[in-house]
Amino acid sequence: MSLADVRDDLNISDEDDQNLSDEEELITAQKVLENLENAWLNEQNCPDILPHQTEMLELMLGQISHMDENMKSLDKNDFRFIAHKMELERVRYIITSYLRTRLKKIEKFTKHILIEEDSRDDEHKRLSEEETQYAREFHQGICSHFNQVALQYMPPNLQGTDEKQMIVRPNLLSHIYLKAKKDVASVVVGADDEEVDLVAGSQHIIPYQLISDLVLSGKAQLI
Amino acid sequence: MWEKQYAEKAFDLIKELERSNESIPEFQDEEVRQILEEVKAIYEENVAQAATISNSGDKTLWPLLNYRHAALQRNKRCLLAYLYERLRRIRCLRWEYGPVIPPEIKANLCEPEINYFNNYSKSLASYMLSIGDGEGIDLTTDLRPPKALYVEVRCIEEYGKFELEDGEVINLTKNSQHYLPRQQIEALIRQGILEHIVQ
Repeated sequence: MSLADVRDDLNISDEDDQNLSDEEELITAQKVLENLENAWLNEQNCPDILPHQTEMLELMLGQISHMDENMKSLDKNDFRFIAHKMELERVRYIITSYLRTRLKKIEKFTKHILIEEDSRDDEHKRLSEEETQYAREFHQGICSHFNQVALQYMPPNLQGTDEKQMIVRPNLLSHIYLKAKKDVASVVVGADDEEVDLVAGSQHIIPYQLISDLVLSGKAQLI
Repeated sequence: MWEKQYAEKAFDLIKELERSNESIPEFQDEEVRQILEEVKAIYEENVAQAATISNSGDKTLWPLLNYRHAALQRNKRCLLAYLYERLRRIRCLRWEYGPVIPPEIKANLCEPEINYFNNYSKSLASYMLSIGDGEGIDLTTDLRPPKALYVEVRCIEEYGKFELEDGEVINLTKNSQHYLPRQQIEALIRQGILEHIVQ
């Protein structure tokens, strides 16, 4: 049972979606789900935080509530009802798991992520607005707690909370599994400038930092 | 005579937290106060000595000054690590039990920690509400990949009436068994009221 089957059974045609997607750009629900699944896998396996997928997410959430609505008209004891509901729950899990993974990274590397985020211009922001706000509140919460319980009682030269050694950074050189989606010629792997040609469909273990641009451009998928 | 090392207490604080088998042990109010006092004492010694140095120009005390400064920083670092780890555990409470801290755990927290929990809870809630065009999505459910829509559960604690989404009301009495939609009762399982029966 795939999402497409669910939609067929519920008589949702792709034409219905035109109002869901951006004006001229048409995208099928199946494609949206695929994108989300890829983003989810990437996010889970990547040591750094990746650009957010708010648009995909909102399209998918719209789909879900749309389908939830349509399912009310189905007989509850119909086998299809159970299969559909199961599929929707799976999609919902992917969405929540994706967002949770991001929150976990934000909570762990708050200051690092905020600093990086401030250095990016508007088009290249990796956090959604809500995530940014969450990160700021989170950082604020920890600082004020530190201050209230300990730092305010310390001598002035020890009261700072912005020292470099207090920033937790992800290890960008940790190894990841990756699958090439397209042929990429001469990728530098390792410090000795060794080069490897990635063939579409091949799998590799490489330190993340060396291939981060391939992940961002969608040429490689983390697995 | 060997008396005691600087920053020993602060290090003990972390070790105790690590060793404790409670999820969040009692906040060590007294120890924290003593550490802060030690910090103050070391600092004052240093200030006094720095004054001596600048008056007399005697540089032989320099290493001692540096040593004390390192002790100060170690104290700070240990103390903050202690607080930070507690905050991390406190955040887990939000995901496990929802916005209300169970009373037996609450008794172990200090006032600022409870405030922190409430602020965190609020911030998380407003984030979850903002997802998907104001419709909101609860991230604290669906914690595991779904295997089946319904699960068989046994009630291990008296709970009373529980209303399902479709309006049906079930009575959760101790030791009763039910077949319920997973999504709606996931929180009860995590709180230890229901137990998932795995065949």
